[in-house]
Amino acid sequence: MVEVKTLVSNPVLVIGAGVAGLTAATQLADFGIRTVLVDRLPIVGGNAMDLYKAFPTDDCSYCFEGSRLRPGIRKCFYRSAILDQPNIDLKVNTEVTEISGSPGKFQAKLSVGPQYIDSKKCIMCGLCIECSNAFCLPSPQCQPQAVIYDPEMSDEGAKKAEEECPTKAINLGAQPSEETIQVSDIVIATGYHEMKPVSIDEYGYGKIPNVVTQLELAQILDPNGKSGGALVRPSDGGQVKRVMMVQCVGSRDENYYPFCSKICCVYALKHANIITLERDGTQVTVVYMDIRTYDRHERYYRVARDAGVRFVRGRVSRLEACADGTLDIIAYDSLLDKYLKFNVDLFVLSSALEPPKGSAELIESLSLHPASGFVGPADLTSENAVVAADHVYVCGAATGPAEIPESVTQARAVVSMILQSRK
Amino acid sequence: MANNKSAVLVCTCGKQLQLDYELIKNAVSKMKLAASVTVHDLVCQEEGLAKISELIDKHDGRVVIAACTNQKLQPRIDEYLKSDGKNSTQLQYVNIREHSAWVHENQEEATRKSIDMIRGVLARSAGSTLRQVEKKNVPSHVTIVGGGIAGIEAALSLSNLGYDVTLIELEEELGGHVIHLPVVAPTDKSGKEILAGRLDALQKNKGINVMTKTRVKFVEGEMGSFTVHYTTDGDEDEKTIGTSAIVMATGFREFKPTMMDEYRYGKNPDVLTQFELSCMLSEGALARPSDGEEVKDIVMVQCVGSRNEEYKRDCSKLCCTFAIDNSLSIIERVPDAKIRVIYMDIRVPFEHEMIYKESRDKGVDYIRGRISRVWEKDGKTHVQFYDSLLNQYFEVTPDLVVLSSAILPPDGTRELSETLGYLIEDDGHIKELYGKLRRNETRRRGVVAVGGVTRPQFVSEAVTDAQAGALMLHTELQGGSIESVARGAVLNVDDCVGCSLCAQQCPRGVPLMIEQTDIEEEDEEQKFVFIASIDTLLCHACGVCQSLCPTGATQLNFLSNEQLWSEIEATLEGAGPDYPITLCFYCEECSVSTIDIVGTRKMNYPASTRLIPVPCAGRVSIIDILKALESGASTVMIAACETDRCHIGGTGNEIAQVQVDVAREILTAIGWKGKRVDMFRMFSAEPERFTTAINEMVKRAKELGPTPVHQGTSGKWMEASK
Repeated sequence: MVEVKTLVSNPVLVIGAGVAGLTAATQLADFGIRTVLVDRLPIVGGNAMDLYKAFPTDDCSYCFEGSRLRPGIRKCFYRSAILDQPNIDLKVNTEVTEISGSPGKFQAKLSVGPQYIDSKKCIMCGLCIECSNAFCLPSPQCQPQAVIYDPEMSDEGAKKAEEECPTKAINLGAQPSEETIQVSDIVIATGYHEMKPVSIDEYGYGKIPNVVTQLELAQILDPNGKSGGALVRPSDGGQVKRVMMVQCVGSRDENYYPFCSKICCVYALKHANIITLERDGTQVTVVYMDIRTYDRHERYYRVARDAGVRFVRGRVSRLEACADGTLDIIAYDSLLDKYLKFNVDLFVLSSALEPPKGSAELIESLSLHPASGFVGPADLTSENAVVAADHVYVCGAATGPAEIPESVTQARAVVSMILQSRK
Repeated sequence: MANNKSAVLVCTCGKQLQLDYELIKNAVSKMKLAASVTVHDLVCQEEGLAKISELIDKHDGRVVIAACTNQKLQPRIDEYLKSDGKNSTQLQYVNIREHSAWVHENQEEATRKSIDMIRGVLARSAGSTLRQVEKKNVPSHVTIVGGGIAGIEAALSLSNLGYDVTLIELEEELGGHVIHLPVVAPTDKSGKEILAGRLDALQKNKGINVMTKTRVKFVEGEMGSFTVHYTTDGDEDEKTIGTSAIVMATGFREFKPTMMDEYRYGKNPDVLTQFELSCMLSEGALARPSDGEEVKDIVMVQCVGSRNEEYKRDCSKLCCTFAIDNSLSIIERVPDAKIRVIYMDIRVPFEHEMIYKESRDKGVDYIRGRISRVWEKDGKTHVQFYDSLLNQYFEVTPDLVVLSSAILPPDGTRELSETLGYLIEDDGHIKELYGKLRRNETRRRGVVAVGGVTRPQFVSEAVTDAQAGALMLHTELQGGSIESVARGAVLNVDDCVGCSLCAQQCPRGVPLMIEQTDIEEEDEEQKFVFIASIDTLLCHACGVCQSLCPTGATQLNFLSNEQLWSEIEATLEGAGPDYPITLCFYCEECSVSTIDIVGTRKMNYPASTRLIPVPCAGRVSIIDILKALESGASTVMIAACETDRCHIGGTGNEIAQVQVDVAREILTAIGWKGKRVDMFRMFSAEPERFTTAINEMVKRAKELGPTPVHQGTSGKWMEASK
């Protein structure tokens, strides 16, 4: 009996600090459960940080839910105070390199990158950024609210910054380290990766600058981004007048991913609507196989048609870059049974959402059920999507492409299941 | 008040802020409500936190901190003070960094603004009261309405979390729609198999009381003390159960397209809905209803009633997968069956795509187009359809026509909303509290909705939803002992006139109108039949009730009318025509974030602006706006959340819009320019929304010139006639 008690007092390891991982970690922490939250990047928030506006609410993507300890329905991300949450041990720049042990008593080996900046001490006063280009604030919303340091850009100014930092938050000599922690439960919240379709030759991605993915388009449209939200061509910063989007790039395709990436239709149309309704005089054409705007997301399709977005059911058959930076495109329209010719400034690929790097290793090391490379449920009969194995849980896009609200609901379900297992 | 002076702690942000701290120190030390002034370099670090703790002891908790945004600072300070055993509820904050030093180039003006705002917050602080943690015990019991997969899963989850559960089901049998599904993608298992383990667990669980053939009539009370009124089949008497919270899990209703003449549903027995086919398949009796003959040729029609302006505008999400599941089930039984699926778009998420492919490989024919009509001739069912890819009409004579009919909200959803207080979506489903992050909760505290009643959901989604919904109730009920700092509206019952504005407009439905039954007959003339009752522990502290209350009976315990009015007056001390001031009330939700991000990005705007926080724009009343003008402001703006994005889950920002509109009308009526007041919506992804708005109001302040208050002519009908 005593043995069991020491077990349950062990912390929960949450891998990935995107929407799902953050929700799981903070809810667990609210219930007094110690949580180690790791992310391989220097800031948390995952893909959601780069979305500009998120569906289904069309407001900022970086909301953070309120809770008992943070009253209110939602807070802006910079207010989430992850570093000041009791019970959460946030480790950024950190990867889980190995998991051993048994359910309820896992040993996780963490490789912790150099902690150049003590985020708790950084006050964002801006002194270091003025001294050296090696420091930057990744975004005004970033969490932790702290600058990050890029050692590759280091210069004399960086040393000056280290000396003059009012809180002595900078340590240029920081070294990577390794540690092993014992945890009782593991929550996999590793999210998704937007496929970079470099290998799909016909679209010219990676070769032609005005061919971008949907996530890259979100960055162009973001008012906090480089162009201040103006829709401009990556090649020369010129105004974009005509956009073509193509759906199912790498999805529903036996050569890449046979599954449907589920959310690309919705965010493509979200972008098409923003462009058509909020960026003057731009024509958007969407080339698709089936428009999959499930449930109330149908609204995006209705709005798009009303706004004058053009839809072509078919495939893009040829793309050619012109000298003036525009692209000549020939698309086959299967409803008209005709080839149509277009000239556009920007070609946007709704690229497949794939499992992130390291998923296969994680699935193997914990003997989980793979679901097209993502993490499937332990028991197929129960339809219990968040339980991946004994004491191992999964939530968010780690289960497969997922919307923000689904990720939150799944993260809550994980916390619910962990609490239930400890009662 | 004996001692209403506060200590002021001013931070220099590591000596990085371009403000004249000598001037601030001098000015603040002369303020009559300042007990002391301390300039500190790093309030947010260990030494600064210790300083705050020390000042709290010295000044009975009344401390004003002028530093960076409290949105980041406050959680750290609260946590530090909590571990130090101190009460931080009286601390007040002034943002002199993001809201002043970082956004104004002119140091002198930024300093002046900072001093004004510190003076204002000192006045707010003077009226503050200490708030304590309060406790309340409630029954550890939850009632679940609906015994389908979501209701069952919620019951098991809540029971595992330590609650007693009553599970109420209308039908004789538990299991809802799922129990009738022959196969559930992608599991390859039948609905019965998926439910088996759960039904077993339910039976063994002594903490769950299952009541079948039972109908919930209505519900009274609030979280912690609901009373559910119900009747059971064969028993006329209405009975009640006391419960602390309610889970709505009433599932969905399949659309019966009898009014869509083209399909002949309800007239031709061989025309079925997809769910009717599921039932047929799961009972193992695939046959033509008209004559019991073998079924070989089937036409399925997608989007019957869905994606249709007349019946259901949106997509029903599940029907494509259901059609494919049933097609595969049929092929398993009748390998040479001919199945045609007529569709607009096939919508199968993630790995369901692979089942779609499997069905194509097994010969299911997918035809993009529409059915033109169904009719009967020579004892056969005829179907004419249009193939939009071939641009051709075809006619076939199937054994069965299966309609993938829309998924609609269940009956009774609207009726129960009247007493349960949740909101209803346009499509009739229960509306979630907030679409992006809070799908399991409803507007009403203590009421969660899970499964199909909120939106069409796959089985695994309904299960996850139920588990998550259980967690949200556990978060609220905390096992039956609710403990929290009472921060919210407090009602002075003696001042309530029973107008019920608070109960009608509260975004979370917290105030209850209580019938006054014990009043003596003799006061009949004067008695209020109903008066309000507000449980501060359930309040979300937006202040909408306060701004609407005609008698000041309900007020936030951290921002009373007196506090805000004295803050307005003190902030605007000396405001006049020479340096016209724009006063901005901003909500501490999207607006504070937008203004903070404007600061972090160091976007400039004029320093002739003074900012006052309110918890929600809906807290600002007409009187507050007029007070600002009376105290010398040239223009007044309210910064609020975007339309339909109220953070409290309702309409705080729309209430604010009404207050602004009425204030403008009043101003116009008394001869002012209504344009001196305006409201703007914003969110932090678009920080220029704030700078555009405040530049506009500063421009108006200059253009409109001195106000009647500045000219000493207010009330003399001057401005309009000019």
